[in-house]
Amino acid sequence: MLPNVGFIGLGVMGRPMALNLIKGGYRLRVYGRRKEAMAPLVEAGAVACGSPEEAARECDVIFTMVTTTRDVQEVVLGERGVIAGARPGAIVIDMGTISPTATRAIAARLAEAGIEALDAPVSGGGIGAISGTLSIMVGGKPEIFERVRPLFACMGKKIVHVGPNGAGQVAKACNQVVMLATLQGLAEAFTFARKTGLDSQRVYESLSGGAAQCRILEVLGKRMVERNYAPGIEARLHYKDIQIVLDEAHTLGMALPGTALVTQMFNALIGRGGGNEDSSQLVEVVEAMSKPLQ
Amino acid sequence: MSVNVGFIGLGIMGKPMALNLIKGGYPLWVYGRRVESMAPLAAAGARVCASPEEAARAADITFIMVSDTREVEQVILGPNGVLAGARPGAAVVVMSTVSPEFARTLADKLSAQGIEMLDAPVSGGEPEAASGALTIMAGGKPEVFERVKPILETLGKNIVHVGPGGTGQLAKACNQIVVTLALEGVAEAFAFARKNGVNPLRVRDALLGGFAGSTVLEVQGKRMLERDFRPGFKARLHQEELRLILETAHRVGFALPGSALAAQHMNALGGSGEGELDSSALVQVIERLNESK
Repeated sequence: MLPNVGFIGLGVMGRPMALNLIKGGYRLRVYGRRKEAMAPLVEAGAVACGSPEEAARECDVIFTMVTTTRDVQEVVLGERGVIAGARPGAIVIDMGTISPTATRAIAARLAEAGIEALDAPVSGGGIGAISGTLSIMVGGKPEIFERVRPLFACMGKKIVHVGPNGAGQVAKACNQVVMLATLQGLAEAFTFARKTGLDSQRVYESLSGGAAQCRILEVLGKRMVERNYAPGIEARLHYKDIQIVLDEAHTLGMALPGTALVTQMFNALIGRGGGNEDSSQLVEVVEAMSKPLQ
Repeated sequence: MSVNVGFIGLGIMGKPMALNLIKGGYPLWVYGRRVESMAPLAAAGARVCASPEEAARAADITFIMVSDTREVEQVILGPNGVLAGARPGAAVVVMSTVSPEFARTLADKLSAQGIEMLDAPVSGGEPEAASGALTIMAGGKPEVFERVKPILETLGKNIVHVGPGGTGQLAKACNQIVVTLALEGVAEAFAFARKNGVNPLRVRDALLGGFAGSTVLEVQGKRMLERDFRPGFKARLHQEELRLILETAHRVGFALPGSALAAQHMNALGGSGEGELDSSALVQVIERLNESK
């Protein structure tokens, strides 16, 4: 018999992921902070719940997909949180991007209540969530991972068990380090090309065949060329992720000079009011450095 | 009328500062977490207290010079803290480096109990603290600044009222940005000279006379050349101060690219087990970065 599934957090990412689980044949209990967020899920057959506690009740597996570390702490460990409703032996899977350190602490608290935990952050954005082609990076016990692998398969394509609790978050942090440094490279390349009078579309095409070819170029590079900054991935979310990375670097005593520099570019991007637009507008920040103030 | 003064925090900086207050003729009540830190002050005539509360109870003005935000919070708001002992109308002068936001929050909490606060972080190291030659950047009400100023004059030479609460800390942040990037520059220059077979001692002599001349080149540069990394200003405290500055930059959405890079080098220093060294040990990170295979 298929396990009963709880799903908490029905935003840009959570909603399509939950829908894919329903498509996979799973019975879902859902909770979203905004009531209207639950409507499309109910229409597809899910049961709407009044709290994370209620969503967790009678479930074998409970997913959380909320934004910040504090949000996860609240929906999992807070009053009327998952921990209050989940039964011993249940598995809680956080798919958001949060602090590895906090992830380990949450897993330890759940373990005290006899509840299993996995961290399984994703890469691939809203597009990947809708098409069920996310990359999923998992931390936790291998036997727990094996038990829920079929559920992950409804949401993602590349599913990797990285290591113990927190390891998924560390892998996601590595993913963000590569992604944001690449984004900075693209922003500089297009600024350089435009400054010398080149057609950025042509440059985009020429890069697409060579060693600089990558998914970031394909998706966010294109947005830079078109100066179309409708999200996509809102810059404020990358801004949140990057801060997690730098906090870990500070705690571990480790230099991440490139990441630190990109973070400052994001500071400027947020400061100019671009937090709700796509991260590809980083190119505008880089351009602004080399042109006189209006 | 003489002013009774409390002093909390008797570390590398706090001890010589407190001694200068005694020299200045102020009756002093002191508290230090380590009992032995209070001995030299007691010998000089200070009264030893068992808690920040006790020191604050006796004092018209209480100075705080502990290491970081957490300690400032603890000695002021914690159990047996300054807030519990200080009477309405008393003033608290926070000379530790904390974030501007935290300084404002703290001032509000004290003000609710009728206690005035000045944030007055300092620039300068142990030698300046000992000789009463610190630079002091104060934030708070002008009348509170005027009231405290005569006492500050026994501690420092260049004493500036920057503006309202929190602005002393913001000025200190600016100070640290300049110092940090100067440190980074001196470290890179000396490592560069050495690697290219040029005696950095000579380079320093040459630079001191020109546009690159600075206190950092003079003091921290000398430490780098002599490999004398006894603190001074510990690398882990410098790392922590940079974190505070970058937090403020993050919060207001402002890019500080140079400071961010230097902070990473400071991270590497801490992670290499060198956090207790003077922050001029930064030069070793640049050297390791350029080590031959």
